[in-house]
Amino acid sequence: MNKILKLSLVLFLISAIVAGVLGVINNITAPVIDAQRQAKTAAAFASVLKADRFEELEFNNPDFPTVQTVHKAEGVGYVVTSVFSGAQGNITLAVGVDNDYKCTGISVIEHSETSGLGANAASTGEVGVNFRAQFVGQDEGIALANAGGSIDALTGATITSRAITEAVATSIRAVKSLA
Amino acid sequence: MNRKKQFTEGLITNNPVLVQQIGMCATMAITTTLFNGVGMGLSVLIILTCCNVVISAIRKIIPGEIRLAIFVVVIAGFVTIVDLLLQAFVPALSEALGVFIPLIVVNCIIIGRAEAFCQKSPVKDSFFDGIFQGLGYTCVLIVMCVVREFLGAGRFGGGLIDVTNGFRFTLDGTGAGIQIFPESYGMSIMSLPFGGFLTLGFLIAAMQYALKKAEDKKAKRAEEEKKEAEESC
Amino acid sequence: MNETKEKLLFDVTYQPQVRTVRDTQRIMLDVIVATLPIVGFGVYRFGWHVLLLVVSSMAAAVFFEWGYRRLLKKSLTIDDLSAAVTGLLLVMVLPPQTPVWMAVIGDFFAIVIVKQLYGGIGKNFLNPALAGRAFLTASYSGVLTVVVIDGVTTATPLGFLKAGEAMPFTLAQSFFGAIPGSIGEISSFAILAGAAYLIARKVIRWRIPLAVIGTVFCVSLIFGHSGYSHLDWALQNVCAGGVMFTGIFMATDYATSPVTINGQVLYGIGIGLLTMLIRYFGGYAEGCSYAILIMNLCTWSIDKLCHRRQFGVSRAEFAAQKKAKKEAVS
Repeated sequence: MNKILKLSLVLFLISAIVAGVLGVINNITAPVIDAQRQAKTAAAFASVLKADRFEELEFNNPDFPTVQTVHKAEGVGYVVTSVFSGAQGNITLAVGVDNDYKCTGISVIEHSETSGLGANAASTGEVGVNFRAQFVGQDEGIALANAGGSIDALTGATITSRAITEAVATSIRAVKSLA
Repeated sequence: MNRKKQFTEGLITNNPVLVQQIGMCATMAITTTLFNGVGMGLSVLIILTCCNVVISAIRKIIPGEIRLAIFVVVIAGFVTIVDLLLQAFVPALSEALGVFIPLIVVNCIIIGRAEAFCQKSPVKDSFFDGIFQGLGYTCVLIVMCVVREFLGAGRFGGGLIDVTNGFRFTLDGTGAGIQIFPESYGMSIMSLPFGGFLTLGFLIAAMQYALKKAEDKKAKRAEEEKKEAEESC
Repeated sequence: MNETKEKLLFDVTYQPQVRTVRDTQRIMLDVIVATLPIVGFGVYRFGWHVLLLVVSSMAAAVFFEWGYRRLLKKSLTIDDLSAAVTGLLLVMVLPPQTPVWMAVIGDFFAIVIVKQLYGGIGKNFLNPALAGRAFLTASYSGVLTVVVIDGVTTATPLGFLKAGEAMPFTLAQSFFGAIPGSIGEISSFAILAGAAYLIARKVIRWRIPLAVIGTVFCVSLIFGHSGYSHLDWALQNVCAGGVMFTGIFMATDYATSPVTINGQVLYGIGIGLLTMLIRYFGGYAEGCSYAILIMNLCTWSIDKLCHRRQFGVSRAEFAAQKKAKKEAVS
């Protein structure tokens, strides 16, 4: 009994110290990470839809559970952010939609896809840029090439590519549902 | 303990990846660009050194029965710290490595060194063990990255080097690297996991070959010396 | 001793065995002769580039084999012609627009990594030519997953089948080879001529090819496809894709196919089923090369499963032996 008590106490103490240190570090880094995330979101918005001002709309349509926010840029179009599951974890995607319900661009804000494969969807390299450029001008009937559409999947990352393609279609439909 | 011996052990004779063959999952997964390799290697090096020092410092108060639980708590703590710091200050690397930074928690190099070395060695030795083993790991990652990036995309130093406006290092992962031959000629399968297996296999084989050759040489020399000693008698 | 064994590498079945004058070199020569009509048709259909591809690929394969064995101070095995055959077969399963340098990379992978690293002829567990093709398609999918004839990208018959579109090729066109496709796979007629030669020379047996082609035929006949009559669909599935060529020239590779008779049938059926599975549900229009690679990996288990009774051992004794073995394992 005494021994178990001692073991628990040691483990508890060490865990408590580690937790305390983590708390301090988190306090330091949280605002930095948060600021970065915001800057990134703003940059993502600007990259998917050419507009100066974005105005957040109320959006909670139960038909679109993945859609997080819809921002409207007056006279230009909308930006939809959605969270959905990719191959490894959740992907946060910003999709620009113009007033003709055509995609104006996509940007991956957050993801945890496999490095070198699915992560290429977000990369700034040639592969990623080419992959994302395919989405410009697509309508809600968008699909991967092997499903009869025109989007070429990333090499070795069909699941990621399909998830993103579906999310773009969903985002366009979400904007349509507003009208 | 002899530092020089520790150094050769960490980098060559007891290299974590090529000889102990631990921590191979991340080795094969992330070594697609030099930026990833260097980033992952340094992250492991830092985490390994910190964990080694802490575990060695508290080795006398860790009860044997729950040592693994304590190792994991300490390791997870350091990994989270590094993860948060990377997210805050090197977001490009954190994004490129994705889930593999949190996965360092279960990277057997760290728990392996804790179990095999730190829990019975003084702090100073453990510190150097962490550095040298981490360096050994980083070197393997760099070699794998260079080989795979070259064969797969015809590039060197992707993410880390930029030559568009003169040579410079890009620590935010935006450099395009040096294109050695056009990317369309690259065997892109080398950037896929298959290429990781292949490259690692070749590296391990080369390492074993070199080690065996050195050993043979040593044995031969010892024999000759023995003979000489006998003759001189 | 070692030398003769290398040369008479012919342990393709259990004892009792018959000693013949046939050696690897003659067999490989027969394979090359059997592919002559196919190569000829390929040149006629796609132009002289095909001949250049064949010659350079064969030369590269032989060079890599020679270089590797020389470098590692092993006995030289290039005169058994197996490397040349690998180079030849690799080109046969590539589309006609393949650049020469790409074929050479494929040869390197096939010869050095798939064949020599595992010990050379007879010891590789994957078909070298098909593994080389898989390596190339994964690496250069943009270039190799389409077929370009005279600078025009054309959809293969199986591409039409996969998309569920009406097929612009008649069965006769598919059979005689007036269709786009990999160099070696287009003319079923030429392939059958080669197969007849191989079977007549007893280089291959009919079991594996028949099992492969029969399974593909039966499966497609039973399940069909909307827009086609069942028989049409089944015959096109056999003639229009790579089943005929790979089933006859690749699936029968000695080192990577089972040696037991039941095993060979099982292996062939497995290839046919996997091929149809990929054609019906997979991302690619064609799947027989991957089907063969997958079944290559199962060869050892299949042979184990189909272990035959020795001569002079009764059924009861054999069952008892099996049981004892099983108990010993557990």
